[in-house]
Amino acid sequence: MAGHSGSGSSEKKSSNGVNELLTFNAENMQSNMKTIYYSRTFLSIIGGVVAGILGFTGLKGFIFYVLLMAFTSVGLIAKAKFSIHTYFDSWNRVLIDGFLGGLMSFVLFWTFAYDIAHIF
Amino acid sequence: MGLGFTIGFIGVLILFHAAYSTIQYRTLLKITEEEFSGSPLIVVIELTLGLLLCTWAALNVPGKFLCILPDSDENRIVSLPGNLDFMIFNHRGKIFPVEMNERLRH
Repeated sequence: MAGHSGSGSSEKKSSNGVNELLTFNAENMQSNMKTIYYSRTFLSIIGGVVAGILGFTGLKGFIFYVLLMAFTSVGLIAKAKFSIHTYFDSWNRVLIDGFLGGLMSFVLFWTFAYDIAHIF
Repeated sequence: MGLGFTIGFIGVLILFHAAYSTIQYRTLLKITEEEFSGSPLIVVIELTLGLLLCTWAALNVPGKFLCILPDSDENRIVSLPGNLDFMIFNHRGKIFPVEMNERLRH
C-alpha cells in the first residue's frame, strides 16, 4: 500500500523547531502561500501609487511601506481567523514572507505616481 | 469574487480621481507660485478610502485559506489515484446481471 503517492494531496514531514505540526497537507500550504503573495504584491502596488500621489519623498515613503505591510499582516491574520496553525506552519510565513518582494514593486509605482502627479 | 473585483476596481478609480485632483492642485500652486507643503485634506480622505477598498479587495479576491491539518473534515485523504495496478476486474461481480438501462448516477 505504501507504493504510490498520487499527485493529489501529498503529505510532507517537516520538523524544524518553529512549527508544531509534524505532517501537514503541503498542497494547501502552497496555495495559502500563493494567496499571501498575491495579496501583498497588489497592496504594495496600490501603496506605491498612494505614496506617490501624497508626495512622500525619502524616508517617509519607506516608513509608509513598513506601516502598509504591518497593516497587511494584520489583515491576513484576521483573514486566517487568528488561528494561524490551521493554515500555516509558522508565524514567519504570515508576518515576514512577502516583505522584500513587495518593496521593489512599491518603489517602482511610487516613483511612477510621483512623477505623474507632481512633476509632469 | 465578482464583488471583490468590483470593489477593487472602484478603489482604483477613486485613486485615479485623487491623482487628478492632486495634479489640478499642483497646477493651481504653480499659478500662485506657492510651495507644495501637503495635499489638501479631501485628497487625503479620498486616498484613505481608496486604500481601504483596495485592501478589502486584496484580502478577498485571491481566494480562501485552505486548512493544512491532515485530520480536518475537508482533508480526507483518498490516497490511491486511478492507478490500474490496483484495479481488479476479475471478481465475483461478474455474476450480477448486466443492467443496460441503468444511468450513471453521481
